[in-house]
Amino acid sequence: MSGLTPDISDFASKDNLIAQDDLTFGKWLKNIWTAVRTCFNGMVITGKVILSRKPVTIEYPEVREELPSNSRSRLFNDVDNCIACLQCAAACPVDCIYITATRRDKEAPKLKTDDGTPIKLDLKQYTIDTALCCYCGLCTTVCPTECLTHTTDYEFAQYTLGEMKYDYLAEDIRAWKHRIVKA
Amino acid sequence: MIEINGKEIGDLSELSSEKIKSDLLTLNMGPQHPATHGVLRVEIKTDSEIIAEAKPYIGYLHRCFEKHAESVDYRGVIPFVDRMDYLGAMAMEWGYVQAVERMLGTEVPRRAEYIRTIVAELQRIASHLLFYGVYAIDLGAFSPFLYAFDEREKILRLFEELSGARLLYNYIWIGGVWNDITDEQLRRIKKFVDNLEEEVKTFHNLVGENKIFIERTANVGVVSEEMAYQYGATGAVLRGSGVEWDLRKKKPYGIYEELDFNVPVGKGEKGQLGDCWDRYHVRVQEIFESIKIVRQCLEGIEEGSIMGKVPKVLKVPEGEIYVRTECPRGELGYHLVSDGGKTPYRLKVKSSCFTHVSMLPEMAPGQMVADFVASIGSIDIVLGEVDR
Repeated sequence: MSGLTPDISDFASKDNLIAQDDLTFGKWLKNIWTAVRTCFNGMVITGKVILSRKPVTIEYPEVREELPSNSRSRLFNDVDNCIACLQCAAACPVDCIYITATRRDKEAPKLKTDDGTPIKLDLKQYTIDTALCCYCGLCTTVCPTECLTHTTDYEFAQYTLGEMKYDYLAEDIRAWKHRIVKA
Repeated sequence: MIEINGKEIGDLSELSSEKIKSDLLTLNMGPQHPATHGVLRVEIKTDSEIIAEAKPYIGYLHRCFEKHAESVDYRGVIPFVDRMDYLGAMAMEWGYVQAVERMLGTEVPRRAEYIRTIVAELQRIASHLLFYGVYAIDLGAFSPFLYAFDEREKILRLFEELSGARLLYNYIWIGGVWNDITDEQLRRIKKFVDNLEEEVKTFHNLVGENKIFIERTANVGVVSEEMAYQYGATGAVLRGSGVEWDLRKKKPYGIYEELDFNVPVGKGEKGQLGDCWDRYHVRVQEIFESIKIVRQCLEGIEEGSIMGKVPKVLKVPEGEIYVRTECPRGELGYHLVSDGGKTPYRLKVKSSCFTHVSMLPEMAPGQMVADFVASIGSIDIVLGEVDR
């Protein structure tokens, strides 16, 4: 290190030092000309966009974008069709699906899902911790009765982590069936 | 003698430069720095504006992905590999899936291979468009970012319709792909790439040919050919240094053997070979090559199934394999070891971004801080892949 003003040569290895050509008056003028020309070219491009292109953004809370139909968003389980096979819980890579089921009484009336699969287990708990969920979609692909689906419903932020746990047997969440699940 | 307000304070001429020599200033760049592309912390020692030493610290985004993969089944690993390079997730999936398929000996249907190539190349375009926009922001130009994101958004929208997610797709599955691509989507891709070619030319005129941009990037952050070899650089960093090395060409996988495309290399047009401008230019040219590949795939795509024969409960035979693929950011390698169980015994990832970060200490000395930002931007790192 030499002197008050640092010099690149103090630190740089030889490779990093690039010999600058001597600046002649002609080169100086040429530099200015290229700078002006290329910047003007850029301004023309920007100007064209300003004049010709329509806005691509939407004003979100007022205007809402419809997500594509197979978009993977909020999970919904239709508990009436669930046979508690635990395949979704096994497929989940982050283990965020909690299922409890008991064997159904033999005397109890026989139940069937919409596609005719007999329900042999009584579902006691079906909870998904949405805060842990990584929305990979593996649980929906293994579901044999297709009761567990990704809906296109978004905007479900909550203030506490506890509120992100969805108990799909609760009445208010069952009501989603008619609101967010497409036929 | 100098007097100030009647007091004698000494002779200034005695204060030679040796006496007021300053120490180097230690400065933390990051982890919350907008120009470090994520949570990279670089401890730099500067003398005023010139960097004497730079030391990258990584690990802020470490999620134990490799260890975690040992406890989930083979299909469950795919969402995790997505999260490594979240800007090039399709390419990440493809590498992992290939490793498992080769160990299983699965035959992948032709249609699935075509769809994989299309989505991987579109992902490469999206990733390079993001690089283009963010690099311009690093160097102080804002509007290119908006133009690039406008185009990138169209690709993400298509991926959302195809797979259901915008960034973390879980689309390429072991044996094939999740959803089939429709003719309407193929037509849209064709229309999109036709339009994109013109747009990228405009983009390059706007930024790459600009004198200010050239002054900021040419002769800055030079990576010579030897240095690139020494550090094991891959991808656009290696090609920017003038080495023609592309796994899609040299060690073809998938259907790349049948496709016709060039490997763009840096030529040192605006400054030295291997400077930031060369790396930028290689990426812009790669967008055109990707467009070429997508066009050929759209023409050649075959009808058929999209899923090969894969057992429902996956048990990979005992053994190990190393598979490498060409990702948007460079070469990605998976070392998969199986003990015959349902979960991988060991999954090690060789990431290109990690090797590129290790080049920073050699690139930095002698640079201005602003040029260092240009150097970090030009190697195009994603910290999710560095830390894993």
